Amino acid sequence: MQFRLEKRAEPSRLMLYLAPILALAITAVLGALLFSVMGYDGIGAVREIFLTPLTNPYKWQDLAVKASPLVIIAVGLSVAYRANVWNIGAEGQYIVGAIAGTGVALLTYNLSGPWILPLMLVAGMAGGAAYAAIPAFLRTRFRVNEILTTLMLTYASVNLLNYLVFGPWKSPTAMGQPQTVLFSLDQSLPYVVPGTIIHLGTPIAIAVALIVWLVMSRSVFGFQIRTVGLAPHAARYGGFSADRTVWMALLLSGALAGLAGILEAAGPFGRLVPQFPTNYGFTAIIVAFLGRLHPIGCLFAGIILAITFVGGEVAQTTMRLPFAAVGVFQAMVLFLLLAADFFVRHRFRAVEPKTSARPA
Amino acid sequence: MNSALIVPFIVTLVAASTPILLAALGELVVEKSGVLNLGVEGMMLIGAMTTAAVMLTTGNPYLAIGSAALAGAFAALLFAVLTLSLSANQVATGLALTILGTGLTALVGRPFTGQPVPTLGPLFPPALANDPIWRVIFGYSPLVYLSLAMVVAVWFFLMRTRSGLILRAIGESDTSAHSIGYPVIGVRYLAVLFGGAMAGIGGACFPLMLTPQWAERLTAGRGWIALALVVFAAWRPYRLLAGAYIFGLLMTLEVYAKTSGGGFRIFPSEFWAALPYLATILVLVLISLSRKGSTSAPACLGKPFSPAG
Repeated sequence: MQFRLEKRAEPSRLMLYLAPILALAITAVLGALLFSVMGYDGIGAVREIFLTPLTNPYKWQDLAVKASPLVIIAVGLSVAYRANVWNIGAEGQYIVGAIAGTGVALLTYNLSGPWILPLMLVAGMAGGAAYAAIPAFLRTRFRVNEILTTLMLTYASVNLLNYLVFGPWKSPTAMGQPQTVLFSLDQSLPYVVPGTIIHLGTPIAIAVALIVWLVMSRSVFGFQIRTVGLAPHAARYGGFSADRTVWMALLLSGALAGLAGILEAAGPFGRLVPQFPTNYGFTAIIVAFLGRLHPIGCLFAGIILAITFVGGEVAQTTMRLPFAAVGVFQAMVLFLLLAADFFVRHRFRAVEPKTSARPA
Repeated sequence: MNSALIVPFIVTLVAASTPILLAALGELVVEKSGVLNLGVEGMMLIGAMTTAAVMLTTGNPYLAIGSAALAGAFAALLFAVLTLSLSANQVATGLALTILGTGLTALVGRPFTGQPVPTLGPLFPPALANDPIWRVIFGYSPLVYLSLAMVVAVWFFLMRTRSGLILRAIGESDTSAHSIGYPVIGVRYLAVLFGGAMAGIGGACFPLMLTPQWAERLTAGRGWIALALVVFAAWRPYRLLAGAYIFGLLMTLEVYAKTSGGGFRIFPSEFWAALPYLATILVLVLISLSRKGSTSAPACLGKPFSPAG
């Protein structure tokens, strides 16, 4: 019996769902080997990073807090990537969303009322969408590649944040520290589970995933996004405008990244500081792929990546494993997932060995 | 401005341009073969960290540059196996390579972080290299002259050799090239490995010439600027040289804005730091306007090719 590699007639659904699990399992094995070779306790590192956050109930609230922004951003990115719109600057839209929402917070600092927080969230979404509108405009009007523009704008946004917190927005009471004032109670996210640090961002993340799933699977908009991504020519023939799809994909992914930004600023941070950019916007790219560019998949993938973040912090304190190890594990997951995807499109098939041997 | 001001300015500018020129030359060859590798930033970081590690353990700069090239090529091999043999999405794989490079170098480079790395001094004898006027031509590290030689070499290879013609044919029409009998995947493998080696050497410029030490995320987005530069140059080596020096000028302005006051004080220092990135966007728009839709990109750029059809 011999095996031959061949292209599948149709992508395998089983492999599509199995690939992320395979990628995680192989990451655990390879990761343990790699870190052992590098002189760390490899098996311990895998245990602390992938299992401790799940087995220790005290860590579950951290998982919810870390997963929420990842899920919100990744859901938006998954829509954009389905449409073949490569927004890789979610980090920038996340920062500008936080800046826009903080702007509202600073303007309403001496006011009170339940309307302030919703206004901040809307401003955050508007800020993220507006920042994503720049690459959308450049792509549709001037045919400029959005991969480069979204990324360049991310670097620019970091400088904008620094300018604000070191300059005009610096708190007068911060003793020279580069930070804005602490948000008031009306400007901060309420906790939703008493006695934990789980804030309003978590139910919002779940709602975002469910709503986008419904929209993508049930509406013409969802159909348009999927068609333009899968078959651009058919989409044009069917009357779907490619430019409108680019706009919608970038505005939606930008708005969701901006929402995640202001939720993070009004939640765990409580103010803007230079340390605000935490690469959630980049990690969400992994989440989107691991979640198979599906909103519900992103929900699970967001939790998995949150596990590695929380586990990385655990391993940092218990084993003195550098936090950078988390990035290595995350990149390995993505690499192995992309490799495993090969078997979504290909398969090994058993073939009878040829009876007529080559002439001697 | 007199020569006492302008000569140091040009020397800084040329040094700042060199890493992006080297990395962009590699990526240009990769893209000419029809492959888009977004992992340049990751490969540069791997090259930079390898250089610092080899310098701090052996002190031999040429061994360090060679190791950086090898390390960059090895990282590129990972990308090549996934995208060329397993036909994975090139955008996602390139991003994964950058994330891996960032994490891996932060982890492995920890023991070397912040330690002063001996730099690779000027190629020419001190009489020339330290002359207040002539150092504008003779006062650079060998890496600078290497980058200039590579501009000529890459141009010659692509435009004047048979192998270069085959590589360009594969980038323009992989199926035709395959049907004539050219090894599409093999040539792309070589191109991607060359791109990795060049990005690695580009990364080596940081510890050896610019920031004589290793630190996390040392290259600070220069790999992405190199990618933009290839578009800017319309996939032509000589335009790449001009583009790299324009970006070097912007980065040098940032350095001057931080250290000196005067006219730079009109804008906050963050503005000057953001300028190279904003200028990249502006340049991309201008290119698009001047070409009225046609981008002169290789026709097969970013598209996977499988010989089985």
